Amino acid sequence: MSVEVRPVVREITQERINAYADASGDHNPIHVDPAFARATPFGGPIAHGMLVLALIGEMMRGGFGDAWSRSGKLKVRFKAPTRPGDTVTASAALAKEAGGVAEYAVQCATQSGEVVIDGRASVTVAG
Amino acid sequence: MTFSLDEGRIAAYLVAIGDTNDYAGTVPPLAAAALGLEALQGEIALPEGSLHTGQEVEHVRTLLVGEPLTMTGRVAQRSERQGYVICVIEFEIVADSGLDRAGAAGVAIRARSTIMAPAGAAPAGAAPGGGA
Repeated sequence: MSVEVRPVVREITQERINAYADASGDHNPIHVDPAFARATPFGGPIAHGMLVLALIGEMMRGGFGDAWSRSGKLKVRFKAPTRPGDTVTASAALAKEAGGVAEYAVQCATQSGEVVIDGRASVTVAG
Repeated sequence: MTFSLDEGRIAAYLVAIGDTNDYAGTVPPLAAAALGLEALQGEIALPEGSLHTGQEVEHVRTLLVGEPLTMTGRVAQRSERQGYVICVIEFEIVADSGLDRAGAAGVAIRARSTIMAPAGAAPAGAAPGGGA
C-alpha cells in the first residue's frame, strides 16, 4: 500500500528560529545570537537541525497519521546549515516496501536546491 | 529524569515549527525527541557552538499530552577529529502511565543524536558512559 507523501514547504525565518529556541529551550547562540554567529565559520545564525527536521516529521504525519507516531523510524544526516530566509522543501520518495513496512528516501532542500538534510524514514503500513 | 509535555508546551512547539497537523491529544514524536535531547544536552553541558550532525528516532508507541515520562540517556561514543569532539548521545523515553490508546506499554521513543563540539571547549562530562 504505497502512500503519496506530500512535500512540506516552509520559510525558515529568524523569528521562527527564535520561537523554536523558546519552545525547545535550545538557545545555543549559533541560532539566536547574530554577533556570536558572525564569528563562527557559518558567518551568521543557522537554524536548529531539529527545527528543519520537524518538516520531515510533519510530512510523514500528514501522509500516515497515527501510524507514523506509533511506528515511524527516521535516520538522517544534517549535511548543511539552513539560514534565516531560506525556504525549505521536505520531500519523500518511496524506496522500498516489504513486510508491511514502507521505506522512503527523505530530504530537506533549500530554494537553491542545496540538500540540508537527507536520510531514510520508514513506517509500518500494514499488519 | 522525569518530565511531561503539557498542552501549552506542545502548542508552542507546533506554532514554532508551523505544523498544522491534528495530533489529537498525542505528542508529535519529534517534539518528544527534540525536547528530550535538549534536556540531556543541558545535563552534559555541551559548549556554545555545538552542532547537531545526525539524528535517529524510533517511535515505538504514541505519547499522550501530559503523560508522565521518564528519560534515560548516555554518551554512547566520544571521538576527536580535526579539532572537534564528536559525541553520540543515546536516549529512551518511557511513558510511566502504562498503556497507550492502542494498548502498548514500555519505551515510547528511542533516539540517537550525533553532536559535534569544538575540542578545546568540550566538557569533561562528554565522555563515554556519562549518564543523564
